[in-house]
Amino acid sequence: MNVFDSLTDTGARDVQRTVSGSPPERASLPLTRLRNHLLKGHRGRIVGATTQAARHARWCDLPAELAPALAAALRASGRERLYSHQSQAWELARTPRHLVVATPTASGKTLCYNLPVLDAVLSRGHKALYLFPTKALAQDQAAELMALSRAIQAAGGPGVKAFTFDGDTPGDARKAVRTRGDIVLSNPDMLHQAILPHHTKWAQFFEGLAYVVVDELHTYRGVFGSHVANVFRRLRRVCRFYGVQPTFLFTSATIANPAELAERLCGEPVVALTESGAPQGERHLLLWNPPVINPDLGIRASARSQTTRIARAATTLGLKSIIFARSRLMVEVITKYLKDVFDRDPRKPARVLAYRGGYLPSERRRAEQTMRDGAVDLVVSTSALELGVDIGALDVAILNGYPGTIAATWQRLGRAGRRLKPSLGVMVATSDALDQYMMRHPEFFFGASPEQARIHPDQLLILMEHVRCAAFELPFHDGESFGAEDLGEMLGYLRDEGVLQHQGGRWFWIADSYPANAVSLRSVAEGNFVVIETTEGAQRVIAEVDYSSAPGTLYEGAIYMIQSQPYQVERLDWIGRKAFVTRTRADYYTDAIDYTRLKILARFEGRALGQGATAQGEVHLVRRYPGYKKIRYYSHDNVGYGHIDLPDQEMHTTAVWWQIAPQALDRALPDRQQAIDGFLGAAYALHHIAALRAMAEIQDLGRSVGDAQGTWFAVVGNAGRGQLRGPDHQPLEPSAEPRFEPTLFLYDNYPGGVGLSAPLFDDAALLVRDALDLVTHCGCRSGCPACVGPVLQSDETLAVTPRAAAQRVLALLDAVTQPRAWESAADRSDVLSAG
Amino acid sequence: MSQLSLKDRLGRLRGSPPAGATAPTAPAPSLAARLQRLTLGRARVETHSRSGGAALVEALGAVEVAPGVLRLERQFGARERHGQVALGPDGCASALAALDHGGPAPRVLEPLSGASLGRELLCLDTETSGLAGGTGTWAFVCGFLRGHAKGWTLRQYLLTRLDAEPAYLDAIAAELQPRALLISYNGRAFDIPLLTTRFRLAGLRDPFPDVPHLDLLQPVRRAYGRVWADCRLASVEQRLLGFVRQDDLPGAAAPAAWLDWLREGAVAPLAGVMRHNRWDLLSLAALLPRLGAVFADPLAHAADIRAIAAYHQSRGRTEQALDLLQSGRRRLTHAGLLELARLHRRRGDWEQARAIWEELDAADDATARTELAKYHEHRTRDLARALALARRLPPGPERDRRCARLGAKTR
Repeated sequence: MNVFDSLTDTGARDVQRTVSGSPPERASLPLTRLRNHLLKGHRGRIVGATTQAARHARWCDLPAELAPALAAALRASGRERLYSHQSQAWELARTPRHLVVATPTASGKTLCYNLPVLDAVLSRGHKALYLFPTKALAQDQAAELMALSRAIQAAGGPGVKAFTFDGDTPGDARKAVRTRGDIVLSNPDMLHQAILPHHTKWAQFFEGLAYVVVDELHTYRGVFGSHVANVFRRLRRVCRFYGVQPTFLFTSATIANPAELAERLCGEPVVALTESGAPQGERHLLLWNPPVINPDLGIRASARSQTTRIARAATTLGLKSIIFARSRLMVEVITKYLKDVFDRDPRKPARVLAYRGGYLPSERRRAEQTMRDGAVDLVVSTSALELGVDIGALDVAILNGYPGTIAATWQRLGRAGRRLKPSLGVMVATSDALDQYMMRHPEFFFGASPEQARIHPDQLLILMEHVRCAAFELPFHDGESFGAEDLGEMLGYLRDEGVLQHQGGRWFWIADSYPANAVSLRSVAEGNFVVIETTEGAQRVIAEVDYSSAPGTLYEGAIYMIQSQPYQVERLDWIGRKAFVTRTRADYYTDAIDYTRLKILARFEGRALGQGATAQGEVHLVRRYPGYKKIRYYSHDNVGYGHIDLPDQEMHTTAVWWQIAPQALDRALPDRQQAIDGFLGAAYALHHIAALRAMAEIQDLGRSVGDAQGTWFAVVGNAGRGQLRGPDHQPLEPSAEPRFEPTLFLYDNYPGGVGLSAPLFDDAALLVRDALDLVTHCGCRSGCPACVGPVLQSDETLAVTPRAAAQRVLALLDAVTQPRAWESAADRSDVLSAG
Repeated sequence: MSQLSLKDRLGRLRGSPPAGATAPTAPAPSLAARLQRLTLGRARVETHSRSGGAALVEALGAVEVAPGVLRLERQFGARERHGQVALGPDGCASALAALDHGGPAPRVLEPLSGASLGRELLCLDTETSGLAGGTGTWAFVCGFLRGHAKGWTLRQYLLTRLDAEPAYLDAIAAELQPRALLISYNGRAFDIPLLTTRFRLAGLRDPFPDVPHLDLLQPVRRAYGRVWADCRLASVEQRLLGFVRQDDLPGAAAPAAWLDWLREGAVAPLAGVMRHNRWDLLSLAALLPRLGAVFADPLAHAADIRAIAAYHQSRGRTEQALDLLQSGRRRLTHAGLLELARLHRRRGDWEQARAIWEELDAADDATARTELAKYHEHRTRDLARALALARRLPPGPERDRRCARLGAKTR
């Protein structure tokens, strides 16, 4: 059903044919005009275009067994039938089977769980727990359930009580939520810290609990997902205590493995529903790459200027648009630019609206209502609107920068074109490596999702913390299990720590503490740092930073940004986990210099790859921040250095690594300096590609180049070239090293790892090929932030540029092209010429 | 990796450097060796031997009513004194009566009124393994002090084995006959919810919903919340009961005392816990008649007469409130005086009210000045005087409005 044309600059003619071949529908005339305008006027910038044909609804009758008041309420609101996937969800949920609904945005996923839940409440007096990743989503859903409840009452049924339960719920209202709520809407953090450790207060609720609804499943990945899987282990344990086994109903954006992720989360088989029966209008998508303005440095025109331009064109044609930006700051900047154009007359109602996190709930409500009413023409938003807040129908979605995952891209694009209306999405790339990579690989957007959401619930540190919490909630019995590790050994460990006692075949909690308070679902190591503002004498906590990122962001002298307000760190109390900051007006930001050494502790598995090998295993990491650079805004000039005086950070984690046979490396890159530059550039490219595959943030993974024994490691020095440094961080001369076997590491940037390395090892060959592709097809000359990282002007005169060096390193590791690498391919000529 | 011990793995994950060079090919060291390398583990805590139980029974003078459940029982005669207070016989009908119409009857008691007199007073206090709350906190001592015709009977239950909790809770439930009236200090927020959690965790029926409960913290807060620095039981003992604890084991040390017993069989600290609990209970019994006296005559007991008067009013006892404020007039703050004036005005006693307002106006009290301006505008119709008063009000819309209206009327 996808009509897809991938266009290089030479293939732009095909686009025009596609466009002229599709008869313009009358209703969608402005949209077609906009699309034609963009395609004709800017063909050099459009690197991909696709159209998804309109799809008609597949209907099913309302189930006959539905509670009569519920059926009547649905009919009264005009819902005489269900979409096919809603009907399937109903059947499965009633069986009951755990299920995940992974259909596109606006396909009516909410009803997939509301229907079985409301029926269970009305017919059998059951209860349900809804979990949302954010408070705002829970409040939206509560409002929707309230409306449904009124419709049910109007149809002669009893009211359904749906209450939110979050940090804002006042103390005196909590009892009513616990004892009277039919549906409680909360978030995983509250379940973890407030509900489970107090489950006896929720006894009535648990005794009737039939369904657990988990919305936005795809956000439960990495560390957060690994924690939540353990929270669900605890939840199911508490449920068993009250004699219930609730059914899990998940909904998810499109990812490659929704059922697998859901199964890992809830610990039982889950059925996936991925075929939507909802109607969809014709959908156009354009991939837009801003023109190159400095080909040597690979610098492109800013995405922001392109975005506002497209938005202006859309608005001028009378279309309603939403623009997604990646930061709050960018939302404000774009909003200002658009308001300067469209909201110059203060007497007229505003046509441009900004929407981002950090607003008060009442402001947010008002903004949402304004959007639903269609009273604005342009909405500029952060990811805050990506999740299911109802904002009504829009025509155009413009993404200022790749959102980081394909799932998020589609969620944002799905904001345009509700029901059968045609819609247009434009993804405007920035100069970042990932954006540029996606621009060259539009098939990622249109084919099956490549994104695997990974979690690792048995990560030992995470698991231990939840065994601790679980032991607090209910005594463990001998022979019970919790996770994949030996529970007896873990409980013995806690007994030795003095928090448990074993008596009569049970393990009782005896410590005077509340373990859930010490465990944040968003980080691995305990001991978060608080950032305290001390401007004007008062002390005010303004942020919390998790332990592992504290040393790189809260060193004395660092500029720490909150909502684009810079603060300077005056003092860091390392033991007390506090950073004292004051407001500042500095015109620079700071960037810590990171010296990371890795040593392989254990190799779990490995295999040959190209002219080298790849492996994965456990590594010991020592990170030092010797100092930081001050970098001026806009010009990005280096305006100074500072020292950082912090203890070395050590961590055990998992990593995947690549090595090249010394003779092969020596043949391809006889100059060791070039080899180091090549490895560093290859690491940069692989790091970005791997983040894409692992559905991770860039900072979830780390990269390092070293000799695998911890004797030397390579960093990018001040001169922009790779440097070898020894165990005490002293500079080494590459040619003087007796043994030169560089190893390229990508490591899981969490203590113990959160399961990112093993899948990367499985895909090691694919990653190399993608990285090689990224470097080979980059439009720059000698290297740029879109391929091997920023290079200096002077590097362009090198015989072997950093880009060419990285290309050679990756080619040596490439399993498929390897046999042919030395005798073919015109585009590899520079590889040959140096060999 | 799986050959490493759990402790060792946790230590490594948390960043303790490996003791030896674990080269990729090196054989995994033995479990014992790895345990030795451990940098993280704490000293292994030994649990005490079973024989400690007998020593505890002896040391406390307790009886073991079920395995792992000890009971201490002691009688207190009616003439026994606690601090300066005689405990008196039985549930001191007089004290209850004073509470009943003297004022502080909290929600539970009021509907009981008459019936409550026939009830048996049952003071309750627990000692817990901590203050963290949630399902992981134990109430390992539950003490009762029951009033009867000849005096008071103390019964304290102590849990000495964790797996004996069901029997321990059974014993507690048996003490809670439905005819009892529970007396506690902060039990509504702390002791009772905690015990309810324990009953639920043990899968037993929660007996508390059936028993009426009077939490003395509420009347104490009402009478002294704005007078004392805090309303802890220790303050009550010092200020109302004249009771000074000698060598008390502070409540905060109770968790450690119990853990010392569980882990090491230490007996002595638990004896301190039992005594602490006994004193808490005796203070409860003594506080009851004292509180009755406080509410009967707040002035004599340096209580917050404005708060008590407000309480009388909320119960519809306006006359009593007025009498109290009137008799304590010299001690009233501006807020109290304004309240007194308000009560006078409501009875139509304008002269009394006016006298108070004028006194406060002289002290530059803006609220009183507003009242006085209203009084002259609507009551004496002395508009010029009202306007003069209004002009001296603090600047703001309230003043402007009033001045504008009076200005219009006088023109």
